[in-house]
Amino acid sequence: MTPQGSRFGPWIGGLLLLAGWELADRLLSDAFVLAGPVAVARFLMDEGALMGRALAVTLGNAAVGFVIGNLAALALAGVAVVWPRSERVVTGLALLVFCLPLVATGPILRVLFGPGPGPQITLAALAVYYTTLIPLLVGLRAVPDTWVELVRSTGRGRLAVLVHVRAMAALPALCAGLQIAAPAAFLGAMVGEFTGAERGMGVLTIRAMRALDVPMTWSLATVATAVAVLAYLALGALARRVLRAPPPVILAAPSVRSKQGAAWRDVALVAALALGGWAAVIGLGGLNPFFAKGPGDVVTALVFAPDAPETRATLGAALAETAVFLLPGYAAGLAAGAGLAVLLVLLPGVAGTVLPLAIALRSVPIVTTAPLVVLLLGRGALGTIVLVAVMVFFPTLVACLHGLRQTPGQVLDVFDSFAAGPVTRLIRLRIPAMWPAFFAAARMAVPASVLAVTVVEWLATGSGMGRLMALSASLSDYDMLWSCVVVVSVLAALGYALVGAVERRVLAVYAPEQQT
Amino acid sequence: MPGPLTRRTLLGTGAAAVGATALGLPPRPAQAQTPVGLQLSWLHSAQFAGSYIALDRGWWAARGLDVSLLPGGPNAPVEPPVVSGTALVGVSAADYTAAAVEQGAPFKILGVAMQKNPFVVASLPGTPVHEPADLVGKRIGMALANTPVLQALCQLNGVDIDRITMVPTQYSAQPLLAGEVDCLLCWETDLPVAMERQGIESLTMLMADHGYVLQSQTYIATEDSLANRRADLVALLAGEVRGWEAYHADPEAAADLTVRMYPDAGLDPETQRLQAARQVPLMFSDLTDAHGFGWWTDDAVAANIETLALLGRTVSPDLWDRSILEEVHGT
Amino acid sequence: MGRDPDHPPAVVCTGLAKTFEDGTEAVRPVDLTVGAGQTIALVGPSGCGKSTLLRMVAGLEAPSAGRVAIAGRPPAETLRRAGLAVAFQDPSLLPWRTVRGNVRLALRLARRPMDDADIDHLLALVGLAGFEETRPAALSGGMRQRAAIARALSTRPGLLLLDEPFGAVDDLTRRQLARDLPRLWEARGTTTLLVTHSVSEAVRLSDRVIVLSPRPARVVAEIAIGLPRPRTEAIGESAQAAALTRQIFAALSDGMASPATAGPAS
Repeated sequence: MTPQGSRFGPWIGGLLLLAGWELADRLLSDAFVLAGPVAVARFLMDEGALMGRALAVTLGNAAVGFVIGNLAALALAGVAVVWPRSERVVTGLALLVFCLPLVATGPILRVLFGPGPGPQITLAALAVYYTTLIPLLVGLRAVPDTWVELVRSTGRGRLAVLVHVRAMAALPALCAGLQIAAPAAFLGAMVGEFTGAERGMGVLTIRAMRALDVPMTWSLATVATAVAVLAYLALGALARRVLRAPPPVILAAPSVRSKQGAAWRDVALVAALALGGWAAVIGLGGLNPFFAKGPGDVVTALVFAPDAPETRATLGAALAETAVFLLPGYAAGLAAGAGLAVLLVLLPGVAGTVLPLAIALRSVPIVTTAPLVVLLLGRGALGTIVLVAVMVFFPTLVACLHGLRQTPGQVLDVFDSFAAGPVTRLIRLRIPAMWPAFFAAARMAVPASVLAVTVVEWLATGSGMGRLMALSASLSDYDMLWSCVVVVSVLAALGYALVGAVERRVLAVYAPEQQT
Repeated sequence: MPGPLTRRTLLGTGAAAVGATALGLPPRPAQAQTPVGLQLSWLHSAQFAGSYIALDRGWWAARGLDVSLLPGGPNAPVEPPVVSGTALVGVSAADYTAAAVEQGAPFKILGVAMQKNPFVVASLPGTPVHEPADLVGKRIGMALANTPVLQALCQLNGVDIDRITMVPTQYSAQPLLAGEVDCLLCWETDLPVAMERQGIESLTMLMADHGYVLQSQTYIATEDSLANRRADLVALLAGEVRGWEAYHADPEAAADLTVRMYPDAGLDPETQRLQAARQVPLMFSDLTDAHGFGWWTDDAVAANIETLALLGRTVSPDLWDRSILEEVHGT
Repeated sequence: MGRDPDHPPAVVCTGLAKTFEDGTEAVRPVDLTVGAGQTIALVGPSGCGKSTLLRMVAGLEAPSAGRVAIAGRPPAETLRRAGLAVAFQDPSLLPWRTVRGNVRLALRLARRPMDDADIDHLLALVGLAGFEETRPAALSGGMRQRAAIARALSTRPGLLLLDEPFGAVDDLTRRQLARDLPRLWEARGTTTLLVTHSVSEAVRLSDRVIVLSPRPARVVAEIAIGLPRPRTEAIGESAQAAALTRQIFAALSDGMASPATAGPAS
């Protein structure tokens, strides 16, 4: 992504940010909320070695998870493309696994892996594979039919199409996915450390929060942000070196269109495979039934057990509490992302300043910001809503900017020939061209916002599903914990499907070529 | 006896240990090491300094154990690793253990590190909370998960809980300092220490002094381990007892050792010393002076069962098993 | 250049028809024979189903009825041996490969050995000398189409299927291609099926012109082009050629006039 506008834009933005930050520190000096850049710099000078060691550990785990997660995404995408009928099942299962709440999966991974970096790496991999898989599938699929027929006309099959045409055509989409994945991997590695690790940024974050060590908390957030932004920029630079041609079609992910019957059959298949896989992991993993509950246990707990109505009521109350934060935050994040993208297209000069700030905001690992934002904005609805919105905002902004800039040049020329002003062009041409990208982002944001809200509830506000899951784990109420996992994952997947349904309707009008 | 061995010199000799203990041979240090996990309930800190002393001075190694101290964390419940065998012993608390047993976990409490529960109500001198009655009309910051704890305290002291405003907070003293709440429900050794380090004077009302009798930092193991790995359990707890007695003798040195052993944990030496000093009265008493570290009486069990009942947990006295500790202190 | 790996096959279509899933009828049952080494042109109005017919012959589209036989075998078999090549209406060059790279990929896919000198020779033949290392984005529409033609020819197919290959090519180049390309496939003896909407081009290049009706396509007329070969420019501009052109236009007009519900011509 090349921000238009002045070369000094990022520097101006950075300086403004630093100045505002330091000013806020001075104003709030006694509140134990904020440490400014001076305090952070001082801390980093004094404790640079400690921070360096922690960073090396977390970054190492994040990198391993990043590689594993992305390789998994590549493999899954390959399967889905070579064998198109499997696509919906593959993506459905992948979505379900991606939606597993990490508050609940963490302890289970710790038991599976024992001591060591296993859970950190796994959570990092789980945090990235889906955000890579989806753009990759789009890229692999968004290939003109004639390119495919060209290969077929030489007597070669799907594999040759994949290797010689789709793989290359998907590179831009893959790069876009990897860029989003980099900060996510870091977050996953940090959360993994909460399951019992000796060292790392996550360990230090907990320590700093508990010890009221505000400079350390903010230094951790600063370092984590810097790392995430650098990774993002480095991958962007790499992408520009690798990519020779601009992406052939827009970054959007329409679902495969097919008959209703086939769709229901695939949903049933995903459910069956998920249940089978779940039962198999518990059976083959030799996990103790005390904490490893199978599908039958959850059904019993929710339906047949004497206290089932009570369990359902607890779950329902927690869900309602979470929804109050989740839905406004999700909507606000989408609106802000799309709105800013439109603004940046109208005022290209500002893009160079705003975009790096936006990247920074999104890349700050939520585990370091959750307590900070709640401290700043309060424990009520606002803080949580803002955090969810931030989580949704950035991918939406990036996708929408991409969509807006994708408007075909020739059509723009046609508009120019009618002397259409920038606003007319925006409303009549660019915004319609943006919808596919917007919906792709909206879909991806569903699991991200669920992650955000449960993490905030768990770490900061102590309410809703996040609290219920953490509490169930500490009280050994594993029936409740697994029920939460099932309910959260299924609801997130349903939300995703719902956005996908709206998307299909819109795409049918605005981007028929995206539907295969 | 060989001289004090460090854990490092013994690494790599552990493989032969399993066979030796399986044959019931007396473990011979320096040659045979049984790998054993001890699951801690939180990140490394002076909270577990007695264990560090035992590890550092090779007291476990001398008894044929290669002990791994597994750190906990905010998302690391103690019970699953113990049930699954990743850890032989876990550091839990009576209420969490009771909850797990209710859910079918076959745990026994083998020892009690914190005789007195570390829960306190911390307040600032401006709006002090000296006794439970002072809570009326106050806003208390707490994890909502701890609501039963406050309920129990109120019931024990005849305080109407509806006249206390509960504000959900987590992991931080900041809301108290920002004036969002008047007091905090927290641990004696945690947020008050953090405030003290920041130069803020606070008062704490120890709930254990007001009828809230509940053991904390209890050592738990499965019934299966008790039946089949008694020697390892005795060796592990013997090391713990010796380590914590050394801790009692010099908490400051124990805190310094903690910082030295875990340089990557981001520990502040002064905080660790404060924490180490504050937990001494919770762990040691005339009772432990008389019977040794980790000991408890049948009266304590009865009192714990009463408090647990207030928390909604029904337990029987056979949750506690003193046989390992008796063996440790008998030898 | 050496001998082609494939003998030119004869193509026989019997009762070939296509109705799409949404009910659109694209091709009415068509019988069609292309003799080995012959060049046949399919002429018809835009959107009449010519391309669908061609794609069915290529084995890229499954017919709803009827069958195609290439040298007596189903098209899939010819496809598997890379015995045919298609130049599509859209040049379909891969944007990340150079012109030479695009041709080389086709050869690699078809598992045909050929060195760069041969590729460059072909590129020179279609007027792309000096553009071997250029990426498609930097080429004009006509140049891209010529690159696509060179790519189709490079695998030395026994059967060459050309779908409006000169659509975007400028008149001068078109004239030159119409002179040079037939020489190449005459020398190789390639069987060629050409879809075009240019009547003069059909007359100029083919041995027989098949006139199709508007959608759904059915055969309106088959007109043999008895012009001598090689087809020089003089032959293309002869009175005989002009008469054939008029005859084809008349057949096209008849096809337009006759109602689409009419049965197949054969």
